[in-house]
Amino acid sequence: MIIEAAQFLTILATGLFFLCFLFSIFFNVNDVNIIKLISRIYSHSFFLFFSSFLIYVWLAINDNFSVLYIAQHSNTNLPVFYKISSIWSAHEGSMFLWIIFLSLWGAIYNFSVHNNEPLKARTVGVISITTVGFLLFLLLTSNPFETILPLPPENGADINPVLQDPLLAIHPPTLYLGYVGFVIAFGQAIAFLIEGNSSINWEKQVRFWSIIAWSFLTLGITLGSWWAYYELGWGGYWFWDPVENVALMPWLAATAFIHSLSASSKSSILRIWTILLSILVFSLSLFGAFIVRSGIIDSVHSFANDPERGLYLLAFIGILVMTSLILFSYRFTILISNKRIVSLSKESFISINNIFFGTLIFSTMLGVMYPLIYEFIYDQKISVGAPFYNAIFVPITLLACLFLLFSIDSRWQSKLKFAFLNNPLIISFVFSLFITFLSFEFYSVSKAWTLASLFIGSLIISRYILVIYAYIFHRKFVNIYSVLAHLGLGLLIISIALNNDFSSERALNIKINETETYKNHEITFNNLQLTEGPNYESVKADFIIENKNGNKFSLNPEKRKYFVRGQITTETAIHASLLKDIYLTIGDQLDDGSWIVNVQFNYFIRWVWFSATLMIISGLFLARSLNRVHS
Amino acid sequence: MTVFLRVFILSVSLMFFYFFYLYIEDDKYYPGASFQTSNMPSFKLEDLYSDDVITNSDIEGAHLINVWASWCITCRIEHGFLVKLSSQGIPIMGLNYKDERIDAINWITKFGDPYKFIIHDLKGELALDMGVTGAPETFLINNGKIIAHYRGEVNEMIWSDVFSPIIKKENLFNDN
Repeated sequence: MIIEAAQFLTILATGLFFLCFLFSIFFNVNDVNIIKLISRIYSHSFFLFFSSFLIYVWLAINDNFSVLYIAQHSNTNLPVFYKISSIWSAHEGSMFLWIIFLSLWGAIYNFSVHNNEPLKARTVGVISITTVGFLLFLLLTSNPFETILPLPPENGADINPVLQDPLLAIHPPTLYLGYVGFVIAFGQAIAFLIEGNSSINWEKQVRFWSIIAWSFLTLGITLGSWWAYYELGWGGYWFWDPVENVALMPWLAATAFIHSLSASSKSSILRIWTILLSILVFSLSLFGAFIVRSGIIDSVHSFANDPERGLYLLAFIGILVMTSLILFSYRFTILISNKRIVSLSKESFISINNIFFGTLIFSTMLGVMYPLIYEFIYDQKISVGAPFYNAIFVPITLLACLFLLFSIDSRWQSKLKFAFLNNPLIISFVFSLFITFLSFEFYSVSKAWTLASLFIGSLIISRYILVIYAYIFHRKFVNIYSVLAHLGLGLLIISIALNNDFSSERALNIKINETETYKNHEITFNNLQLTEGPNYESVKADFIIENKNGNKFSLNPEKRKYFVRGQITTETAIHASLLKDIYLTIGDQLDDGSWIVNVQFNYFIRWVWFSATLMIISGLFLARSLNRVHS
Repeated sequence: MTVFLRVFILSVSLMFFYFFYLYIEDDKYYPGASFQTSNMPSFKLEDLYSDDVITNSDIEGAHLINVWASWCITCRIEHGFLVKLSSQGIPIMGLNYKDERIDAINWITKFGDPYKFIIHDLKGELALDMGVTGAPETFLINNGKIIAHYRGEVNEMIWSDVFSPIIKKENLFNDN
């Protein structure tokens, strides 16, 4: 009964969301009463939908296995935390969460923006129709409320063990918050196009929302990378897995978008870019949902395959995107600014980097689509791997960084003046050359691309440190958020390059009480124990590692076998220090009694995530400062 | 110029969606089940662990053939379920597809071995004859005939939707 009630609430909410959309299209949205009406209907339908979700969470906590989905993905032995997170461990439930977040962003927007803002009613309308599209997808093709009646099973089939991890419980929600957060920028862009009044500064209004969404997207991707490293046992931070690429594309577009926004929120220059990018960011987010949920690409992330789902999503996304683009080309003339972009102005550098971002997005899309096109034509499967992406990403990113450096001194709408003496760029140039030379001479860094990355990375970092210096001693204006984010970028480039150059791995065959030496480290296999967890049994190894200074520490990699699903997972053991991680995974026992143990030395890998964290922090603080300006 | 830009953006996006439509509509490329009966092609390939030659005579009666490779990430996700199936007494033959021997052996030692034996098909010859387009794929064989073929990850749900009905109908794996 309660299950049917929850489903009914969702159906009711779908109807009300649709009503919001109809009102925003057919009524006069400049009438305050109409705006109030739309805003209120939206709040009510969100309330109904959210209650439905809360009931669902309650059902999951109380092990209501009459719900098919809960029976398939949860289990009475699970801790409450995982009973809740099991909701987004597979297709139906995670789609439910996705739509909850979509409508939540709309609800927060609806609540916090004044009714007299010119684009509010139409924005809420666009958010509503997007929500309706996904709700129909949920109810018609992937209903989480489906029941097993009259006899529910005694116990559930358990959550997939690789998902039974605190980090994985929060990785999908943060990523989803990022993806769907761009619905507000998208909604406002479409509202702006429908309205057709070029004097409305929609860019200023969406900056706050877009930067928060960008921060969540960055956080979600970073958490995913960290999870793959220590839980999946992949031993790295990025694998160019199709679904990682599908998350990277909206991130690249979003990064280009928030940079363009800062230009167009000051004057309406670059408006074609911002409109197009806002459509692109959201379309790419939706495209990601299509790729993952239609199952056309094999990946760790793909859900069960169902042609019907793929077709529905393709049709829905296609209609949404094509309508937006037709609207865009219909209103094209009002987007053209009468001001020209001054060469060597800040706008000019942002436009150039937009082109670079566009190239990266296009290349990633090509890498994702090429195997499909190839298969379509030649009927053979191929995969596009890291070498393709590295060959494109490394040079283009480094080139884009050079333009970033010039843009630091440039100003809005005026030409950059080069001063050759006393130019901070020269100081950082000399400094970076010195750093690169040192690492070449004394730390045996010899690959050309590593040296180039090291040089560009130090150039960015030293240049921004000089910006901070100028602020402290000459009281020169500084955009602290930009400084922090770009310091993160410089650090990211350096850490990726060094990680790539220094890291190494080896598989050892080792028996208990034996010692092997790898890269000046003595690795001793001390002991092996059988232990039992709440829903698994495990083999836990004990290794003592001694480095050349005589420091000892122990590492305990594990292999677990989960009772319910019979799945075997490897639990990595990691010894982290400032510069490197020692990373152990244990494999199977061979016939002669020895074990296969994989040892990895991962250099600077923590710095990769630290750099990303700097970007996230700067994004969140920037959003906070923008919010203060608004209220 | 502006007209060109507009037409360009619209037509490129339209082509993009149209391509995915074609791709999805074509069952051939779409992972899924097929129940066409065909003869198991004849083959002569090496065992993964030794130089022993495996031929059709080694596979008699009812069993599964699972196509996998160490480079295939979905295979890793699927693997746990295969281990469970084999522990329930269902015989599974591995068809190691376009893989280096050493990589394949490392992978199996790391994640467990649910297979009765593994055929090492480096060039994908047998796989080609069987109509394999990638990994993972799973075949149900009965007395030298392929009676079911699934492209993509086999899990609890696919097992009960695709394989269980035909196993029940043909009355297979009963002696276990």
